[in-house]
Amino acid sequence: MCGIVGLHLKNPALQPELGRLFVPMIEAMTSRGPDSAGLALYDDTGMHVVKDVGLPRDICAAHDIASRSGYQAVGHTRMATESAITPEHAHPFTPAPGLALVHNGSFSNHASVRRNLAFDGITCTTDNDSEVAARFIGREIARGADLEDAMRMVLKEFDGFFTLLVTTATQFAVLRDSFACKPAVIAETTDYVAMASEYHALAELPGITDARIVEPEPERVYAWSR
Amino acid sequence: MVALNAGITQELKIDLATSSIRELNAELHAPTARRYEVHNPRGAEAIAVGLRDEIDVEIHGPAGYYCAGMNMHADIVVHGNVGTGVAENMMSGSVRVRGDASQSAGATAHGGLLVIEGSASMRCGISMKGVDIVVGGNVGPMSAFMAQAGRLVVCGDAGEGLGDSIYEARLYVRGSVASLGSDCVEKQMRDEHVAELTELLAAAGMDHDVSQFRRFGSARRLYHFAAHNSAAY
Repeated sequence: MCGIVGLHLKNPALQPELGRLFVPMIEAMTSRGPDSAGLALYDDTGMHVVKDVGLPRDICAAHDIASRSGYQAVGHTRMATESAITPEHAHPFTPAPGLALVHNGSFSNHASVRRNLAFDGITCTTDNDSEVAARFIGREIARGADLEDAMRMVLKEFDGFFTLLVTTATQFAVLRDSFACKPAVIAETTDYVAMASEYHALAELPGITDARIVEPEPERVYAWSR
Repeated sequence: MVALNAGITQELKIDLATSSIRELNAELHAPTARRYEVHNPRGAEAIAVGLRDEIDVEIHGPAGYYCAGMNMHADIVVHGNVGTGVAENMMSGSVRVRGDASQSAGATAHGGLLVIEGSASMRCGISMKGVDIVVGGNVGPMSAFMAQAGRLVVCGDAGEGLGDSIYEARLYVRGSVASLGSDCVEKQMRDEHVAELTELLAAAGMDHDVSQFRRFGSARRLYHFAAHNSAAY
């Protein structure tokens, strides 16, 4: 089990509030992933990544995330199942400038994909399965695919269970495996798109009671651009 | 907790902004009132689970995972959406969701009535064992997977793989079916099916022309042992 959250602001007036809106979202996912947590914040100067072991509350406090501004954020709370609990094994995985991936689930053929990536000169820095997916998407984008196409390639190349949230400097995209085993809910208003593993991570967002709430269907990429 | 009607305690109002889920469920497991209002659920998990008494519980707002799970006898209404596994393993009583439901609504439930006025997501009625489920909108892919007994009524459309590996549950769908799962087939609507569908729609408070529904059930090719396959076992 792990927790995923993401917030993509459409209304620029909310940008000074990004951190304040985002911290309760990631804290709400503590029970899904108490081992480590990480986040990527996007503002006009680029993508800023924080990853550490411990509880989201402590990590957010240590880095004063609540006071941060920006236009987009993704976060992850990890309950480690297949590799060590270290800051390096925490999500998001950020294999290229502006690219961040958070994953709930497990890939069963990550060793094979890792080997194929190595033939292309792409090496992973950890033995984590999710890093392989991040580097795979990074390679597809580097070859010219847009984010949505790169994520569809994940369906072809990877076996396993996944809900993925992947962001670039301009895009915010969600994909679930063909059985949609891992939970996901998306809320959209005129002000933002928010995604989380469970609804209660979204419950404190402004205007949530009037948001359009969607559970992503299996094998369909949901993407937003700015 | 605030007694709305102090002294008689026929009604209790519980605010989850100030009370915990454990406090709420402890009260509901040994009820001191006949009727409860729950406020500020904010998508919390395991609201009103394991109830065993004939009480009314109204939840005002969205509920999270496993709301009203294992219900016996109680009548529970959620004025909002619900998360995964609403009314899972319900035995009796009723659960009504005025919004939409997430995955696995009514999973493994043995009895009672689950009404979802909006739509239900994937795996609605998975392994249902006798519950009646009426969905006002659509159901997602893989609904009624391995459904063993009970009735599922879908007033909208059904997603891919409806009724895969179904046993003896009966499925009624008013709209389109994206595809049928293994061993699930369309069956004739006989008089007794029209009668039970009419009854279920009335119980759910839904007004539709029963002639618009189609019935689906098991072809019974999958779960019967076939002697000519004995070498394969």
